[in-house]
Amino acid sequence: MKSRSVPLREVYVWELPVRIYHWINALCILALCITGYIIGNPIAVMKGTEAYQNFWFGNVRFIHFVAAFLFFFNFVFRTYWGFVGNEYSRWYNFIPLKKSQWIEILEVIKVDVLQVKHKQIDSIGHNSLASFIYFITFLMFLLQCLTGFGMYAAMSTSYLPQLFAWFVPFLGGDIAVRQIHHILMWAFILFAIVHVYLVFYHDYIERRGITSSMIGGWKFIEEDVALRNDDSATSTSPKKGKK
Amino acid sequence: MEKRPSYYQEVKGKGIARRDFLKFCTTMAAFLGLEANGAGQIANALQTKPRLPVIWFHFQECTCCSESFIRSSHPLVADIVLNKISLDYQETLMAASGFQAEEAYQAVMKKYPGQYIVMVEGSIPTENEAYCCIGGRSALQILEEAVANCMAVVAWGNCASSGCVQAASPNPTGAKPVHEVISGKPVVNVQGCPPIADVMAGVVVHLLTFGRIPQLDSLGRPKAFYSRRVHDTCYRRASFDAGLFVESFDDEGAKRGYCLYKMGCKGPVTYNSCGIIKWNDGVSYPIQSGHPCIGCSEKGFWDNGPFYQHLPSVAGFGIETTADKIGLGLGVLTAAGMAAHAITTNIRKHKEITNEPETNLKES
Amino acid sequence: MAERIVIDPITRIEGHLRVEIEVKDGFVTDAFSAGTMVRGIETILKGRDPRDAWAFVGRVCGVCTSTHSLTSVRTVENALGISVPPNAELIRNLMANALYIQDHVVHFYALHALDWVDVVSALSANPAESSRIAQSISAWPKSSVGYFTDVQNQVKKFVESGQLGIFANGYWGHKAYKLPPEVNLIAVAHYLEALEWQKELVKVHTIFGGKNPHPNYVVGGVPCSINIDEANAINAERLAFVGQLFQDAKVFVDQVYIPDLLAVATYYKSDWGAIGGGLTNYMSFGDFPTNGYNHPESFKMPRGVILNRDLSKIHEIKAEDQDEIQEFINNSWYEYSKGDKVGLHPWEGETKFNYTGPKPPYKNLDFSQKYSWVKTPRWKGLPMEVGPLSRMLVGYASGLPEYKEVIESTLKALDVPVTALFSTLGRTAARGLETKLVCGWALEFYQQLLDNIKNGDSRTMNNEKWEPESWPKMAKGIGLVEAPRGALSHFIVIEDKKIANYQMVVPTTWNASPRDLNGQRSAYEAALIGTPIADPKNPLEVLRTIHSFDPCLACAVH
Ligand code: HEM
Ligand code: HEM
Ligand code: NFV
Ligand code: SF4
Ligand code: SF4
Ligand code: F3S
Ligand SMILES: [Mg+2]
Repeated sequence: MKSRSVPLREVYVWELPVRIYHWINALCILALCITGYIIGNPIAVMKGTEAYQNFWFGNVRFIHFVAAFLFFFNFVFRTYWGFVGNEYSRWYNFIPLKKSQWIEILEVIKVDVLQVKHKQIDSIGHNSLASFIYFITFLMFLLQCLTGFGMYAAMSTSYLPQLFAWFVPFLGGDIAVRQIHHILMWAFILFAIVHVYLVFYHDYIERRGITSSMIGGWKFIEEDVALRNDDSATSTSPKKGKK
Repeated sequence: MEKRPSYYQEVKGKGIARRDFLKFCTTMAAFLGLEANGAGQIANALQTKPRLPVIWFHFQECTCCSESFIRSSHPLVADIVLNKISLDYQETLMAASGFQAEEAYQAVMKKYPGQYIVMVEGSIPTENEAYCCIGGRSALQILEEAVANCMAVVAWGNCASSGCVQAASPNPTGAKPVHEVISGKPVVNVQGCPPIADVMAGVVVHLLTFGRIPQLDSLGRPKAFYSRRVHDTCYRRASFDAGLFVESFDDEGAKRGYCLYKMGCKGPVTYNSCGIIKWNDGVSYPIQSGHPCIGCSEKGFWDNGPFYQHLPSVAGFGIETTADKIGLGLGVLTAAGMAAHAITTNIRKHKEITNEPETNLKES
Repeated sequence: MAERIVIDPITRIEGHLRVEIEVKDGFVTDAFSAGTMVRGIETILKGRDPRDAWAFVGRVCGVCTSTHSLTSVRTVENALGISVPPNAELIRNLMANALYIQDHVVHFYALHALDWVDVVSALSANPAESSRIAQSISAWPKSSVGYFTDVQNQVKKFVESGQLGIFANGYWGHKAYKLPPEVNLIAVAHYLEALEWQKELVKVHTIFGGKNPHPNYVVGGVPCSINIDEANAINAERLAFVGQLFQDAKVFVDQVYIPDLLAVATYYKSDWGAIGGGLTNYMSFGDFPTNGYNHPESFKMPRGVILNRDLSKIHEIKAEDQDEIQEFINNSWYEYSKGDKVGLHPWEGETKFNYTGPKPPYKNLDFSQKYSWVKTPRWKGLPMEVGPLSRMLVGYASGLPEYKEVIESTLKALDVPVTALFSTLGRTAARGLETKLVCGWALEFYQQLLDNIKNGDSRTMNNEKWEPESWPKMAKGIGLVEAPRGALSHFIVIEDKKIANYQMVVPTTWNASPRDLNGQRSAYEAALIGTPIADPKNPLEVLRTIHSFDPCLACAVH
């Protein structure tokens, strides 16, 4: 293995709010999946005791709900940041409305998924396929909040969950809502596994420091790629990214 | 000429003085938040109103809603039928048969336009109307005619509210609930299979006492009886929160009355009064007697089985297959896919990994 | 010329029954009975978990609620080779007993009484005389002059209101009514009392099954646990509750139902003890095991068939035998893959709709074609009457002392021959006498349950075959139950842990079915032949005979 001698440019991709968002989100989802799984399949840890002596299942649910609120507001914040953050965090990255994004999606599939084509993908933030997947995940976040808070509305008097109460009759009742909520957990688990794998994969292949980018914010981009990006940046985004 | 006693005459017949009657009206007015002269209005209404005429139809059903209704204990059903409403058509109880029976409800429709209540037990077949006929007419024809001039419709039970067992997949008769085949009239969905007797009586009493239909939730159920989940009023809830579960019928936990969640209890997704009013004059309810709630007051509960599993099986994968089994399977597949991808990467992207990237930038 | 009369709906029954009769010279010369509503529950069951079936089939009927659920768990247990613990058997018996008593009482008063009792005539009764008669036939405490005066006033006020509700348009004043006003008043009072009373006994279902209608069952036992040292299970309080309910029931049956039944019979025996006999074959599957459901010889109600009213021989039933029980659809709105001319054993049974009748609204059905949603079951090709009369006859013919005692003493008290049993009145009387027997059995089962618990056996469930992994790839089962209305059978085929076929052959299916391939009538149609009709516009007599069967069309068609 050789080290590269190409000129690299340090690019500040993930601003602090995005990084904080990312890790809160990851921790919440971890907590929600674990507690959610237990809620769905409680282990019979206790036997022969009286109900008043324990509250473990109540605690599991409590953690789930606390994490749920955190997860929700964190997500609301990220949505807001999609309008005020830097070029890499903006909303238009995620929704493939432009032809160029679709072209890149196909490219990525050829290069990284099927590996039938060998070239470097130019994007500095998320590549278009990743962005699109994140967009789908954001929709999943939304659906998980709708189903979760929809169910929660029945057991809470607080204001926020009541805003979601309409979603339950919309799906015909709690049974369906709960089923969807549970199925989505698996979608999150599968996403997380693949996501982490791909982060490592990209680091391994591209050596741009992608893994640590979610910690420090910086990526190391080849100078020529960065230049090409500077040129097209004006055409793809109304506002140029800060460095 | 026919004489119909008003509420006042009714009360007088029971030996209650006019002064007491007016006092009652004042109290009612206060209770309903009316102005002082509202009492006069109420007194007036009650003195002139005949007993509320009711037409009760049976369509695709099992008559357990009628059976449940006659189990009502406050008020007693005899009291409802003799003193509170005029049950002018009810196939299970009425004396007349044949064309005389049909005449009974036709008479109500003529005499009391806009003033009678239609109560429906059972669903309506739509795949072929001939799947339910009475007197040679289809359920749909009868219902449409009767509803046209009624005041409101009460849909008894899961059948009339959401189709119940006959609407379960593949719904061979195209059974539909009342609110899906009629329009333009308020429909009260008194859910349950059957609804609790005292809930049924409660709805009738509400209609009579307040002269309007009760407040409904977004699925058309009266909030007074369906605003809480069975789970939120279940006396085994403490066991749920403590994590004490029954794991099989008659095990140690069952004998101690632990929570039935792991036996598939649908209490957490079911809105009903079972935990509060309970069944048959407060004697017990499914969970108290050791069986998990099967969700009988929820739309489509039949297709969300098996009953002994807390979440439904995923359609098309067989009765035992839950989301967890599928999820785990997909997880394994994903892991295998990743491993394969990782290996392929090391082979196909060998150059990128080992060499300087410049050499690879050109498309190969 | 025969006159065609249509009675649709037949009321005071469960479900949608249409009867058309031909009347000539004041007598019924031909009769047709049609079920006019269908749901397709057998089709809906396909592909489902056999352990859930009890809940689905429970909803076949809310009047004989629990009976199909019981049959279903027996059917699945039979298929999978599960035997339930003795306590579960006893609790199931107690629940079935409670249903019998409640259902029979409700039938007699709410569904049947108005065929014999003229409510309007009760208005002219002398309450003092009613009180005297009531006290002479029963020790029932509510028999004072004041009590009957109150009831009469209540009815009077009701009638004067002009809003007659459920009593509107009855056949009041019909000349076939024979009770004196005073007896009519007693009956009206008891009609109202029975309505109030019936809601009590069903609490047995609530205690063991959580609710009524539609209590819960489970494959392998019963859902309720017994733990006499726990507030959450069947304990001393719950057991005492059950005991009290059955004791009260026995008092009501002995002091109200049976005396009223005998009073009605006294006035109507001369004609209605000979009208409405119909079929001459009677079938009972038997029930109320005292030593496990797999030992029919231990049943309180024996199993067997009587042919041609020959009480000297009981024929054996083999429900699994392909040639014994079969269902035909030549006159029913279904189709079989092998055509209309075959009968199918229920394991091979099919339920596929094929409506060929007129488009509603219609005036008449065409009886030369398919005309009902009820299939036509036959036993060895023969039509069978099922129900309380069949059971009492099979019990009597089997020589069981309890049956002999109660039947012979009643025949003697009424001074009628045994043949009076083969009639409309005989059917109605058999139901009452059976209720008396059941009250006694319930108290026996109750005592056995207490003894078991006392001896340290509190098991209510057999979990060995609960998990589908423990099931064979293919299994077939049959469940036989004596439902209040007669012999009930369910048939299951389980494949790959799912229901591959589920068929129900129900008491009212036997009785209310249309004609078979050989033109043989089933029980309703046969029983109506020869019935006198005084006034074709008011065919009260038809209702008497039809009601004596206690029809349940939701059951019959399902
Ligand atoms: C990544 C996000 C989440 C995951 C993976 C997740 C997962 C789960 C799972 C698996 C269950 C058990 C379902 C069952 O089998 O019955 C559950 C229950 C539940 N979740 Fe979530 N959940 C998430 C987010 C949320 C959110 C945002 C809320 C909002 C309040 C929420 C509220 C609930 C509620 C109310 C329950 C039912 C708890 C009970 O009634 O005991 N969840 N969740
Ligand atoms: C070891 C764990 C993780 C690492 C190293 C990591 C790293 C990263 C990196 C480098 C990115 C940017 C990648 C790109 O542009 O394609 C990213 C984005 C993202 N990650 Fe993770 N991640 C981890 C775990 C998770 C988990 C568990 C979740 C949640 C299920 C998650 C959700 C996301 C989301 C939603 C984004 C898009 C962020 C945005 O732009 O708002 N990550 N992650
Ligand atoms: N026929 C009938 Fe049933 C009964 N008894 C059931 O098996 O009534 Ni609904
Ligand atoms: S809702 Fe249930 S209880 Fe009521 S008629 Fe339908 S099946 Fe029977
Ligand atoms: S038994 Fe059912 S309703 Fe009661 S607490 Fe447990 S899960 Fe909830
Ligand atoms: S099954 Fe029905 S009766 Fe109540 S406890 Fe559940 S809603
Ligand atoms: Mg059948």
